[in-house]
Amino acid sequence: MELRINQKAYQVEVDADTPLLWVIRDDLGMTGTKYGCGLAQCGACSVLVDGNVVRACVTPVAAVAGREITTIEAIEADDVGKRVVAAWVEHQVAQCGYCQSGQVMAATALLKHTPAPTTAQIDAAMVNLCRCGTYNAIHTAMDDLAKQERA
Amino acid sequence: MNTRRFARTAGWLALPCLIAAGLLAWYVTREPASPFEQEQATTFDPALVSRGEYVARLGDCVACHSLAGKAPFAGGLEMATPLGTIHATNITPDPGVGIGAYSLADFDRAVRQGVAPGGRRLYPAMPYPSYVKLSDDDVRALYAFFMKGVQPASEPNIPSAIPWPLNMRWPIALWNGVFAPTATYAAKPGQDALWNRGAYIVQGPGHCGSCHTPRGLAFNEKALDETGTPFLAGALLDGWYAPSLRQDQNTGLGRWSEPQIVQFLKTGRNPHAVVYGSMTEAFNNSTQFMADDDLAAIARYLKSLPGDPQRDGAPWQYQAAATDTRPGAHLYATRCASCHGLDGKGQPDWMPPLAGATSALAKEAASAINITLNGSQRIVAAGVPDAYRMPAFREQLSDQEIAQVLTYMRSTWGNTGGAVDARDVNKLRGHTDPASSSPIILHMR
Repeated sequence: MELRINQKAYQVEVDADTPLLWVIRDDLGMTGTKYGCGLAQCGACSVLVDGNVVRACVTPVAAVAGREITTIEAIEADDVGKRVVAAWVEHQVAQCGYCQSGQVMAATALLKHTPAPTTAQIDAAMVNLCRCGTYNAIHTAMDDLAKQERA
Repeated sequence: MNTRRFARTAGWLALPCLIAAGLLAWYVTREPASPFEQEQATTFDPALVSRGEYVARLGDCVACHSLAGKAPFAGGLEMATPLGTIHATNITPDPGVGIGAYSLADFDRAVRQGVAPGGRRLYPAMPYPSYVKLSDDDVRALYAFFMKGVQPASEPNIPSAIPWPLNMRWPIALWNGVFAPTATYAAKPGQDALWNRGAYIVQGPGHCGSCHTPRGLAFNEKALDETGTPFLAGALLDGWYAPSLRQDQNTGLGRWSEPQIVQFLKTGRNPHAVVYGSMTEAFNNSTQFMADDDLAAIARYLKSLPGDPQRDGAPWQYQAAATDTRPGAHLYATRCASCHGLDGKGQPDWMPPLAGATSALAKEAASAINITLNGSQRIVAAGVPDAYRMPAFREQLSDQEIAQVLTYMRSTWGNTGGAVDARDVNKLRGHTDPASSSPIILHMR
């Protein structure tokens, strides 16, 4: 099966129903994407598939064969992703950091679809869980990114 | 004068009454005839034993007669009846508490007629109104399996919790007289062998109707074969809605092809649905072990049962979701869409679509509520546990939120199941809470 991840083609020998997250982490060694709950509830495993945020722990790998997958490793190669990471650094969002790769993917997906989201749109889209409680910092960084776009 | 006349009249009346009482006593305690009366099974051919094991798979005996972590077929499953709770019994060949002392004829009377040795009637939680259709050959094989293929276990039987006088068993004989058929399956001459094999499995050992056929006031299945339109027309049971298996476009198998039915029963999933609820144990223990020919026969038979457009409504058609500001829409996007898709189409065959799903089209919302509260059980297909499972949202979403998200799900993408009431969610939440004082316990199946 051929997967396109971060603009590169990978050949993988896995069962069709293997979760994409296992392939990314275990078979391909890209461990920036995290395993959280395994039930699509927390968002730590978020990646982009054709620009949309997807939870890799519940995505059968066969369902994304041939589609463009982006993981945290290559997020700065994306213009929007680069701005998000810069804002995250600027506002020092991360504490333990475990959920942050997923948070950055969710933020990037939101800004790709809605360049200048309102507060309500940010609340509605940024639903990944964070045990450190960095929600306020995330929100501030997102507000800042939206403001930059409006300016 | 009057007294003498009264005494004479009473005397004349007493005689027929006594005769009637005698007949009744005989009728309700008699041991019905068995074709195996003269047959003494002493040796068991290994081929017959393994054939019997297959019949036990078809009949899913293990679903009720075993408990997780206990010896197979040692009984114990708690079941609700209208009168009180009963427990499935030990059917291992233990001669004391099990059925080790049963002759083939005794075994036959229990399985096909619901009568234990001595004339004691079984409760129809044992699906003998379906098992009566079993062929003599299959009963013989099943007996061989239970005598030689099952390890004896001395697990004692749990007495039923039905109070006197309701615990008297003899009235069941009258129930049987009215509701339980007495004939084994007879092939329909107008139908081919495949159809007849399917009808045999569905009506007989498979006892599909125990869950999928609605029941009447006396807890009787309203139809036991295709001659009655309620047969397999869908029923509410154990907090789940067992959908129609007829050709209903929305709530039945109308949109399923025969190969898709086979795929569902063999692998637990197809492009329309993934097994969940009570079907999980039927799949894990029974249908996946059926031979491909038998599954094809079941599919052929089920596809021959006509739907009822009046009950089922206009056929479902997919409609893209419009912009929706209901709270359920946002809940859906954040809680459900990563698996079931923003478009409701799921990721077939792993995550089922909700667009066009039975649980989104049936009036009864029980299945949708139940699986949202409690998630799905583990599906084990060919020894491999499933990679994806519906999580339980019991602790994460309130009754109100579950009602909102299900209302959205059941009224989007062309779905017509309609609104879900938070009170119904609350009720089912209570009944399915293991710590509750009124938990759902399993019914007849």
